[in-house]
Amino acid sequence: MHWRVSSLISCGVAAAAVLLGTANAAPAAMMPPAVARAGLAAVQAHCSACHQETAPGHFARISEERKTPEGWAMTIFRMEHVHGVTLTAKQLRIIIRYLSDVQGLAPSEIRAGRFALERRPNHAILKLPYNLPVMCGRCHSLARVALTRQPASEWLKLINFHVGQFPFLEYQDGSRDIHWWKIASTQLPVELAKLFPLHSVAWRRWRNRPPADLAGEWVVHGHAPGRGDYYGTAFITRTSWDRYRARYVLHYANGAAFNGSSAAIVYTGFEWRGTGTLGGNSVHEVYFASTNGARIRGRWFLSGHSELGGDWDAVRTTGAPKVMAVMPRALKVGTIRRVIVIGRGLGGSVDLGPGIHSRILARRPYGLILSVHVNADAAPGYRTVRVGDVQGSDLLAVYRHVDRLQVEPAFAIARLGGGTLAPVDAQFQAIGYTNVHGAHDKVIAVRLGAMPVTWSVEPFNAEAAKREDVRFAGTLNQDGLFLPAEGGPDPKRQFSADNTGDLYVVATRRTGNAAVVGKAHLIVTVQRWINPPIY
Amino acid sequence: MSGLKSVNHKAELLLEAAESGHVEEVAAMETVAGCVTTFDPGWEVDPFGGVASLCQPMEADLYGCSDPCWWPAQVPDTLNTYPSWQEGKPSAQHDWRELDPVYPNTDAVFPKK
Repeated sequence: MHWRVSSLISCGVAAAAVLLGTANAAPAAMMPPAVARAGLAAVQAHCSACHQETAPGHFARISEERKTPEGWAMTIFRMEHVHGVTLTAKQLRIIIRYLSDVQGLAPSEIRAGRFALERRPNHAILKLPYNLPVMCGRCHSLARVALTRQPASEWLKLINFHVGQFPFLEYQDGSRDIHWWKIASTQLPVELAKLFPLHSVAWRRWRNRPPADLAGEWVVHGHAPGRGDYYGTAFITRTSWDRYRARYVLHYANGAAFNGSSAAIVYTGFEWRGTGTLGGNSVHEVYFASTNGARIRGRWFLSGHSELGGDWDAVRTTGAPKVMAVMPRALKVGTIRRVIVIGRGLGGSVDLGPGIHSRILARRPYGLILSVHVNADAAPGYRTVRVGDVQGSDLLAVYRHVDRLQVEPAFAIARLGGGTLAPVDAQFQAIGYTNVHGAHDKVIAVRLGAMPVTWSVEPFNAEAAKREDVRFAGTLNQDGLFLPAEGGPDPKRQFSADNTGDLYVVATRRTGNAAVVGKAHLIVTVQRWINPPIY
Repeated sequence: MSGLKSVNHKAELLLEAAESGHVEEVAAMETVAGCVTTFDPGWEVDPFGGVASLCQPMEADLYGCSDPCWWPAQVPDTLNTYPSWQEGKPSAQHDWRELDPVYPNTDAVFPKK
């Protein structure tokens, strides 16, 4: 669909935007004219009392920024909380909708901070240049910075706001060691505007594209740490210009059902935000459509527990044949397994390489179900999966034994909960590797995927042993899920300390008398009461 | 301690602690344990990357953090942004369960169920 904006208001907006050189312009392709008019009217009604409309559709401060839907939601929250704006839920949605489309981010502009939108836990802060890790990274993941676009004058105002609103910020930011204010007020705005400018070619091009229609049948595969790989079909229907409904017929790799459904809003032509159920759990979806609307990727997570979720990757069932994934992704020599090859248009015979015999049990819209026999003398290593004329590399591995376990994430944080705050759990998985000898006798570590292991915890150091952190901090179940203890002073601990802990999370895989062990570092720490969508 | 004579109440308590074998606890209480400008214990992790040197129990100094806006990313500041956050909850030690998280519209971008 492609809407032509022909109203006088919209033409006026476009003319003013060109004149002023701002990011604001009529959303020529992103939204229908009536929706654009309603959004503009809402901003005029609820924002312009403070943010003067200096030209049609151009509002002081507002028109100098571009953000994600979450970014606009956070700004509006601050306007409500600090400045007394009152909005109904409907008005809030109209304004978020409008600003995300008129002053949003192009797909390439969200790439660096996408992990924060997807609420991925235990993600390292962004590596940004200059003084940004100190000046901003001591409180933010830097995704909040990287998902904002504005000119140097606005970056300076944001810094001024920080100093006024959070006066102790200077101490936290290292002002005892550096000329903080000088850097913050002179260098920083210029550097930020260079990295994250208001105007960009990417946005200029993107906002003039009509949004792709995501309706159709999709092949899906993904991985949920602690739960395993899954695959199946998504049936998506469009219910209005920006709304969709989806039905998911999915299975875990072991065949267990993992069905679901959702309702979604697509912002800025590619940012899918869904609410629904998966496998009986309430979930939210943060997905991103590719620029041509042919692929949808992202992460879903449990409502109220965003640290628990899974990756999502979907392509249309129609299109050039493609092998996307193989489940399980590793086969032991001398075994017979049921194997799913995920993909589309998979016709013809299957070849998994020397020493592996396969038989097609069924053809499905999402791929093939095979019975696979791996010879005892099959060579370990990655295999190329060939189906008819298409192939996929590094999607399947053969192994004789597991040489190493790597616990992921290698470093994690869990938080105590209780009262009004849910605890933040930590999900681990043990990734197996087998070593094979490549060219010039070089040892190659072949990734085998998540392996079944026995889970345990140990004190990370002598202090943790002395504090009995293993006893107090929480429990690790045999799915690799750490459940923190309750918060609050614990009279059973020395000084009634909180149930914090400094732990090793240990994965052990035994084969006969031999054991392979992997470890990760887990910090169990106190609550935080500020939990915005983007840190 | 045998050569010293306590001259005030605090010193008497220290003497009692020494006699009952609790000197270590007294020593710990003497250290600067709050969030002050000369000493940052950290919120999530301590300066050594662990948790043993965090200000604990955190609730003992929670309002000492929220009042001056010491941890603006973790603890709602009552100085400017959330002035009524701890209203009606005078004791963090006893009332911590009642303290609300901020950002009620975290899920505003998602459709309603």
